[in-house]
Amino acid sequence: MAFPAHQGDDSDDGMDEFMDKFTEQKYKNAFNENNWEEEFDKVPMFMKKAPEEIDPATHPDLACLQSIIHDDDRPLEEQAKSLKDEGNEYFKEKNYKRAVVSYTEGLKKNCADTALNAILYTNRAAAHFHLGNMRSALNDAVAAKKIKPDHLKAILRGAQCCMELHNYADAVQWCDEGLKVHPTDKKLLDLRAAADKQKRAAERDARKAKAKEKKKRSEKEALLAAIKERGIKLLEPDNPRRRGSDSEDDDADKDPVAAMATLDLDGFSSQEATGARVFMDDQGVLHWPVLFLYPEHQQTDFISAFAESSCFIDHLCVMFGEELPPWDTEQKYQPQNLQLFFEDHEKEHLYQVDLETLLLKVLQHQRCFIKSGTPSFIIMVKGSEFSKQFLSGKKVHRMK
Amino acid sequence: MLSESDAKELLSFLKLDMRPDVKGQATEYILGLTGNRDGCRYLRTKPDFLRALLTLTADSSVAIVKDCYHALINLSADETLHQVMVKETDILPTLLKNLLDPKYMFSDRICTIISNLSRHEKTCREVFRAIQEHNIGLAKLVEIFCTEGYNKHASLHYLGPLLSNLTQLPETRHFILDKERCVVQRLLPYTQYEASTVRRGGVVGTLRNCCFDYAHHEWLLSDEVDILPFLLLPLAGPEELTDEENEGLPVDLQYLPEDKKREEDPDIRKMLIETLLLLTATKAGRQIMKRKNVYPIMREFHKWEKEPQVISACEKLVQVLIGDEPEAGMENLMEVEIPADVEQKLKDLDAKEQEQIEKEMEELREEKSEKEKPEGQREESGESQPTSTSPEGLER
Repeated sequence: MAFPAHQGDDSDDGMDEFMDKFTEQKYKNAFNENNWEEEFDKVPMFMKKAPEEIDPATHPDLACLQSIIHDDDRPLEEQAKSLKDEGNEYFKEKNYKRAVVSYTEGLKKNCADTALNAILYTNRAAAHFHLGNMRSALNDAVAAKKIKPDHLKAILRGAQCCMELHNYADAVQWCDEGLKVHPTDKKLLDLRAAADKQKRAAERDARKAKAKEKKKRSEKEALLAAIKERGIKLLEPDNPRRRGSDSEDDDADKDPVAAMATLDLDGFSSQEATGARVFMDDQGVLHWPVLFLYPEHQQTDFISAFAESSCFIDHLCVMFGEELPPWDTEQKYQPQNLQLFFEDHEKEHLYQVDLETLLLKVLQHQRCFIKSGTPSFIIMVKGSEFSKQFLSGKKVHRMK
Repeated sequence: MLSESDAKELLSFLKLDMRPDVKGQATEYILGLTGNRDGCRYLRTKPDFLRALLTLTADSSVAIVKDCYHALINLSADETLHQVMVKETDILPTLLKNLLDPKYMFSDRICTIISNLSRHEKTCREVFRAIQEHNIGLAKLVEIFCTEGYNKHASLHYLGPLLSNLTQLPETRHFILDKERCVVQRLLPYTQYEASTVRRGGVVGTLRNCCFDYAHHEWLLSDEVDILPFLLLPLAGPEELTDEENEGLPVDLQYLPEDKKREEDPDIRKMLIETLLLLTATKAGRQIMKRKNVYPIMREFHKWEKEPQVISACEKLVQVLIGDEPEAGMENLMEVEIPADVEQKLKDLDAKEQEQIEKEMEELREEKSEKEKPEGQREESGESQPTSTSPEGLER
C-alpha cells in the first residue's frame, strides 16, 4: 500500500503512529507462522480448491457462501447461473461428479432462460462425457439441442457421444444438422469426416466378417460333402447341442446343411482338446486326426493328420521304428508284431484290420462309426498274454 | 395460329376466377399447343399466356394445375422459349418459392422445368442468379436434395440434373468444391442411389464437371473428400478378388458381396470413367489412383462391359493407369501443348475410332430391340419430349 510521502504536516490521521505500533506489537488474530498455509486454505477467497464437505464449523465462510447459492430468494435465473458457475468450477478441477450435481441443481430451478438451460445441459453432457457415461451425455446433448437447436457445443458433444458409442451414422447426422446452421465450422467438418471414415471402415469390417464366415461355411460344407460321398459315417455327439431347444441350432431342423454342420467334427469335446480336425488338402485328400490306443499299457498315441490314402503300417513303422516307446518295457511292440482293431461301439464287436489297409478303406467299413471326429484304433501285440485276455469273450471279425 | 380476337378471348378464360369448366378447357387447349413445336413457337410470342399459365398453377383444381405444369414443362424443353419464360414471364421466383415448401405437391414438376431451363449457359446464369437473389442459395438447394423425405409428395430427383447443369458456371463449381464447407461430400453417396437413374446421373454429371478444375484434384482424392470410392463402386462388380488385391483397395471397395451389381445405365458408366480420367490429369492424381489399386477394378470391368463407347473410355483410363509416367514438362496432361500436325493426326485417329465404334454400336443395335438413347452431353435435359407429357384423352 502506497502512502503519500511524508508531507511534514499532521494530515495523516495518525497513520504514522498506527504503523509504528506494528514494530512493537503483533496484531491479534495473526496467522501462526507454522500453520499459516493451512489457515490460508480455509479462507474461501484464497482456497485453491473447494473442500469435499463444507462443515460450517471449520469453514463458516464457505458454508455461508454455499447457503447463499443454495437456499436463497434470488430470482431463479440468478440461482441457476450461480449453480452453473459452481459446476464450472468443479469441472475445471476435474471433479466431474460434483459438476454433474451442480448442473442438475441448476436445471432443477427450471428458470426461463433457455440459453442458460441449454448451457447447463451441454455442460452436464460434457461432465458425463468425461466420466464415461456416454448415454447420459448423449441424452443431455439431445435435451440441449431440443431447447436451442443451433447450440454448437451441444451438437458437437452429441456427435462425439455417438462416435464413442460407435454409432457413426448418427454421428454424421448430428454433424450434418450442425452444418446447416454453422456451415463452415471446422470442428464439425473434421468430426463429420472422421465419423464418415469410421462408418465406412465399420461397414467394410462387417463385409469382411461376412465373407470369411461364408468361406468357412462353404469349406465346412465341402468337407462334410466329401465325407458323406465316401460313405464315411460320423457319430452325432451325445451333447446337448443336438437337442431342439438350443437356440443356436434351431436352424438345424430346417436346414439339412446346417444339420450336417452340427455333426461333430471337432476332436474331443472336453477331456483332451487337441483342436485337431479332419481337413481336405489341395488334392482333395482327407487327413484325419487318429488315436492309437494301447490298452495293455493304458497309453495312447495321437496322429494329428493321417492321410486317408496312407496305410497303418507306414505310420507304425515310423512310430515303432528306431526307438520303441518308453512304456514298452518288454520291447515287444515291433511293427511286424502288432495287431490293429477298431471297435463297433454299438454292438461291441471288434474288427481286426490288416496293417497294409488304407485308412480310407477302414473308415468306409459298414460298422465303422467315427466318434468325436477322431477315428481310434486298438493296438496290441500278436499272441501276447494281454491280447489273449483282452480278446476272450469278445466277438472279433476280420475286416474284409 | 389463333386470330388476335380468339387469342384475346382464350386469354380471358385463363383466369383464376373463371368457371372451372371453361378454365379447364382453355388450359387443355394450351397444353395441346405445347405438344408440338409450332405451338410452342407461337406461345413464345404470347408472354401473357405464359403468365396466365403460371398464375393458374395456384388454382384450386388439381387437374388444372397439372395441365399448367405439363404445358410449362413442354415449353421449357424448347430452348427458344427460355428467355421469354425467364424474362417476360418471370417464372423463376414463383417456382423457386414453391420448391422450398416441403408440402408443395408439384415440386417434382418444378424441378423438371428449372432443370430444363438450366441447360444452356445463358438461361443457366439467370437460374443461378434467381437462386441467389431470392434468398435460397445453392446451399439450400443441396440441402433439400440431400434430405431424404424433405417433401412427401415429391422425390426431387430432378434437382440432380439441375445441379449438374448449374456446374457449367464456375460459381457453382466453386461452391460445391468449397473446402471450408461440406458440400461435395454430401453428394458423393448418391452415385450409388439405386432408386433413381435421374438422381444418380445428375450427381455423376455434377462430379464430372467439377473435375475439370484440376486445382482441386488432390483435395478431392484426399481423405477430406475421398471421391475415388464413390466413382469406383458403381463400376465394381461381385467378382472375388484375392485377399491381397482386396487389402490394397479403398475401404469401401473391399470384400464386396456376391450380389453386387454394376451401374446399369451405360451413359452414367461412361461419365464415371470420364470423371476418373479427368482425375488422372495431374501427376499427383495419377499416383494416388495407381496407389489405391484402381486398376484391378477396371480390369474386371473391362471384361464385363459390352457397350463400345464405354469400353473405349475404359481402355483410355487403363492406358493411363498402367502406362509409364509422361516425361518431364508433360506431367499435367491438361496443360500439354500439342503441335498442330500431331493434333491433326490425333483428330484423324479419333474420327476413325469413332467410326469403328459407331459400326459396333450399329451391330449391337441390330442384335437387341431398339432403345432410344440420348447422346452423352455435358448438360442434362429433363423429361421433355412432348409426346410423353400429353394429357390423357388428347388426340395428337
